[in-house]
Amino acid sequence: MIRHLPALLFMIPFSVAVSLPLVGVRHRQWCHPLALGAVAAMSLVAGLNLGAVLTYGASRYAFGGWAAPIGIEWLNDELAAIIVLTLSLLTLTSLVFAGGTAPRTLGGRVVPFYTLILLQSSALAGVVFAADLFNVFVFLEVAALAGYALVGVSGGRALVSAFRYLILGSLGASLYLLGIGYLYAATGTLSMADLGGRVPELLTSPAIVGGLTFIFLGLAIKMAIMPMHGWLPDAYTYAPDAVSPFLAASVTKVAMIVWVRIMFWVIGPNASIEHIPVVTFLDELGAITAVAGALLALTQREIKRMFAYGGISHMGLVLMAVSLGNPTALAGGVFYLINDAVMQAALFFLAGAAIHQSGVRTLDELGEFRGPAWLTGALILVAMSMVGIPPTGGFFGKWNIILGAIEAGNYFAVGAVILSTLLTLGYFIRLFERLFTAQPETAPSHVTPPSLRISVAGVSAAIILLGVLSDPIVRVLLELALPDGM
Amino acid sequence: MLELVGAWLLRPNVVAFVILFLSGFYIMVTHHNLIKKVIGLYILQTSVIFFLVAVSAKTGATVPILLPGANPVDVALYANPLPHVLTLTAIVVQVATLGVSLALAAAIYRQYGSLDEDEVGKRLE
Repeated sequence: MIRHLPALLFMIPFSVAVSLPLVGVRHRQWCHPLALGAVAAMSLVAGLNLGAVLTYGASRYAFGGWAAPIGIEWLNDELAAIIVLTLSLLTLTSLVFAGGTAPRTLGGRVVPFYTLILLQSSALAGVVFAADLFNVFVFLEVAALAGYALVGVSGGRALVSAFRYLILGSLGASLYLLGIGYLYAATGTLSMADLGGRVPELLTSPAIVGGLTFIFLGLAIKMAIMPMHGWLPDAYTYAPDAVSPFLAASVTKVAMIVWVRIMFWVIGPNASIEHIPVVTFLDELGAITAVAGALLALTQREIKRMFAYGGISHMGLVLMAVSLGNPTALAGGVFYLINDAVMQAALFFLAGAAIHQSGVRTLDELGEFRGPAWLTGALILVAMSMVGIPPTGGFFGKWNIILGAIEAGNYFAVGAVILSTLLTLGYFIRLFERLFTAQPETAPSHVTPPSLRISVAGVSAAIILLGVLSDPIVRVLLELALPDGM
Repeated sequence: MLELVGAWLLRPNVVAFVILFLSGFYIMVTHHNLIKKVIGLYILQTSVIFFLVAVSAKTGATVPILLPGANPVDVALYANPLPHVLTLTAIVVQVATLGVSLALAAAIYRQYGSLDEDEVGKRLE
């Protein structure tokens, strides 16, 4: 039974996703509890899976009993188990949040919304587990197609953003597929384990370097690294409020995990840094994204757009950290990625709650907003984590990244972390300035549904827990979740 | 220079792939009509699939089915099925993408009464 946990993690949300449209034809009100139940079961299985991996060690799951390289294989190691647990818990809170806002924001498209969100969470679990580059491509595309449809699910202005997202996302997928073709032509295999044995010897071959470049370009579009970030702010700003938190917490993060896998499991930790011309400047690219993303967030007027740019800036920090190439920075980067997923979900919950409460979308409208105390309190907590103030998880992530940067002797990276932190502080000060000098004229027009409070309380607790438990989590990442030879 | 051209002419498949890829990309970037963008994307994706087929082509090989009396160890006789299976899957993904993109374009047309990016942008304001 324990052996089959990874397959269950995919099958539970997937089977409910394909049966929801049938149920939804007659019993619309069942969609929410069914989806919630499926993701709750998925979170439970993900927790069991993490326990099993920590107890019995990493394992490989061969589909249909055909071992790699003939069959399709999933790698169920500590990194994958931790990321899938994070994703499924965040999906669960997003669904709780959606229960309160979906009826109003989705304009009656409740059945497609729940179907797509389950489809996407099953595909994301597949991306994280897959140990085969082509399998990753297929799951990335299933997740991306569900994502395009989710952005446009309620129609209106979001349709245009969804179309733009689709064009750029598919371009990224094509580049990734082209890169796979290059690697396959040069090595004759697609399994990450096999490639890990063959690629390091061939690093001087132009086919390998070209293939890795295309793969990085394709994934960079999905990660929204700076010159390729054009789709993200629009998509997250105009997506329905029930959709943005889930998308912000998952899509870019999973693409980053794929890149971490390729960089450290395929290219190899020691070869990565010195030999490949593309990889040598990734830390600079990440640093530029971190600073420029925060700078752009500072200039935004719309709250959701500001948070979207904040997310881009944090992905830049993670890319920079994993490119530094030492264990401390890698563990710090992955830990920061988990924190960033939680913080992004929290920020978009709060933005969605503010819109639900009083229709506040921009900083100027915030001047007339009288938020309930729990909302302001949660915002302060998330802001502390985004900036990196000690009791929260964000601080320990940044701390490990800085330690890793010093270990690598890369003071440019240290500067980028500090500069992006100051700019993050800047845009939160702008937000709080409006919030605290608010002259409320009208009372909140809607009573807050309890589901909004529950989801906000959930992510706030997660931010504190990540801070308190940062030491054991980073230790697990450092000791168990690193590739061999690091 | 001449050597480079000669090397290209020896690989007509790769030249065709590059031309298809770049023309798809050009159409996708320069046209303002949403359907034309989708067509450009489709050409680009097809070019990648063409590349996958082209690099895995093998002259004189047959389908990888073990015929009675054939020597199963003789790899030169058989085509590798893996790239072709990958190609099929990639085509399925491409068709699904095309479906979603056309559905989005149709929804945009219904909402804003135009397929032109600039026109839709004006009506968004």
